[in-house]
Amino acid sequence: MEATVLESWVLAEFPTPDALVVATRQMREKGFEGMDTYSPYPLHGGSEALGLPPSRVPFIALCGGLTGVATALAMQTWMNTIDYPLNIGGRPLLSLPAWVPITFELGVLFAAFGIFFGLLGLSRLPQPYHPVFESEEFRTASTHGYWLSVPQATGTDAAPVMDQLKALGATQVTFVTGEKE
Amino acid sequence: MSPPVTNSHTGFEPYNGTPTLMVPAFAVGVLGLLATLGGFFATGAKGETAHAYLIGFTYWVGISVAFLIMQAIFHTAKAKWLIVLRRTMETASAVIPVFFVLALPLLAMAAYLYPWWPGSELTKGYSGLELEHLSHKQHGYLNNHLPIGIGVRHIIYFGLWTFAAWRLRTWSLKQDTVGGLDFTVKQRKFSPGVLPFLALTITFASFDWLMSLTPLWQSTIFGVYYFAGSFLAAFCILTIVTVNAQGKDLYGSVVKLDHFHNLGKLMLAFTAFWAYIAFSQFMLVWIANIPEEAPWYGLRIFGAWRPLSIALFFLHFLLPFFILLSRNLKLQPRKLAVVAVYLLVIHAVDLYWLVWPALTGDAGPTFHWSLLTAFFGVGGIAVGTALLLARGQYTLTVKDPYIAESLRYVQP
Repeated sequence: MEATVLESWVLAEFPTPDALVVATRQMREKGFEGMDTYSPYPLHGGSEALGLPPSRVPFIALCGGLTGVATALAMQTWMNTIDYPLNIGGRPLLSLPAWVPITFELGVLFAAFGIFFGLLGLSRLPQPYHPVFESEEFRTASTHGYWLSVPQATGTDAAPVMDQLKALGATQVTFVTGEKE
Repeated sequence: MSPPVTNSHTGFEPYNGTPTLMVPAFAVGVLGLLATLGGFFATGAKGETAHAYLIGFTYWVGISVAFLIMQAIFHTAKAKWLIVLRRTMETASAVIPVFFVLALPLLAMAAYLYPWWPGSELTKGYSGLELEHLSHKQHGYLNNHLPIGIGVRHIIYFGLWTFAAWRLRTWSLKQDTVGGLDFTVKQRKFSPGVLPFLALTITFASFDWLMSLTPLWQSTIFGVYYFAGSFLAAFCILTIVTVNAQGKDLYGSVVKLDHFHNLGKLMLAFTAFWAYIAFSQFMLVWIANIPEEAPWYGLRIFGAWRPLSIALFFLHFLLPFFILLSRNLKLQPRKLAVVAVYLLVIHAVDLYWLVWPALTGDAGPTFHWSLLTAFFGVGGIAVGTALLLARGQYTLTVKDPYIAESLRYVQP
């Protein structure tokens, strides 16, 4: 099996968030795939312009929450009825109302774990190295720049894509290539 | 930066649609009320009709007051997204004075509802010790010789609610002609000031109307419980009205999907809030297990009321909660409206669960025709009045300085 050793991207900076969203939509209509947007803060309409599929994080969160609920119910049932039964004021050992707070808390906690680690996993984070880190210009994406990345087959001429991005209003375009993972 | 919105901009004129809905609403209201009151005065089912009327009354007045509190909260938060929906809230809360009139039949019915009412036959259900305890502890509040306190409190409740609702609405209507920021500033100053008093009045009103059905039982969270259900129902009504307000001069056509998404999220939030409050109240009473408090829940969680109590947990919380979790559903206004109708029905069941056990006790849930006539009687009058108030006015706040931002709203 032949593995892709090198990957390449064309990066383009746009002056405003709106310009970035418009350009992204037009590039997608031209048939470019696998693009991504970068901005210092959440971009309105960005995911719609990229045509991203629905996020999988909610499903992971639901699974986490249900796991938490099941864990809490099982734990309290075992502790209170088998491991260390205590008669408190004549209440039944299996007193479900008293277990609701713990069940709720664990449900929320596990759902939060699901969201946190699910998001990390789906975003392939933490990522100690990425070829794009070599690009000095791209650093503005975390301060004031609005960037679009377009995957480019390594070894092919990137000039046509760069020209198209410039025609869509990009203030600067650059090209990075390297080992991704 | 936003362009000034004028009438020519929005193309909206004051709403003067034919009263196709108003006349049937009033007709249903009058017929329902006549049937209920006729049933009370002419038949032997005085307890049933009185309790049914109380359910219908508290159902609709709670929603109207919830709409007032909703406006005050949004003004306090300076929220802009909902401005396109605000006229509906203003209209719905302006109905409040009608409920003062609708509270009057409760005077005649009180002896069949409240054991503490002077001369009530229901006192016979209490032992001498209990009555002594009652008169010792609650005499100052419930006045079981002469019900002056409750009368004075009703005047305070309805006086404050009417004043606040009409103040906000009048300012908003004036802004429709003159525009500008002045009235927005007034609303935003008035609302946070009146909010604490709204919270106190709805709490004490719920004590007077619902909690004193069983005067020996107290729960300080009870007012929040009544408010939570009413607030949820108010969001449901707002959703249904907005979905159906389509056509000339009706604001539903300019509402964005983002507004519906927000309404759905608020319905989800207050479904959870209701469950949170309901469970908090239940667990504190259950775990303390004090003879004074426990019987109210004992009646409901053991015996004939048990199935309904368990059903409420599933039908008022789990089912709507998981349905409303879906993002797709909240983005489909028609389907969201169906869920809203469902929640409105279940809110009525919730009030039935609060009120009816005081009537039938261990005999469990029963049905009486006046439950329907009272519900639709009070509801018909309330809805009819709201539609009457809406006539001749814009259905959205056309000259609110932030209306353009509301119409452009994109959710974060």
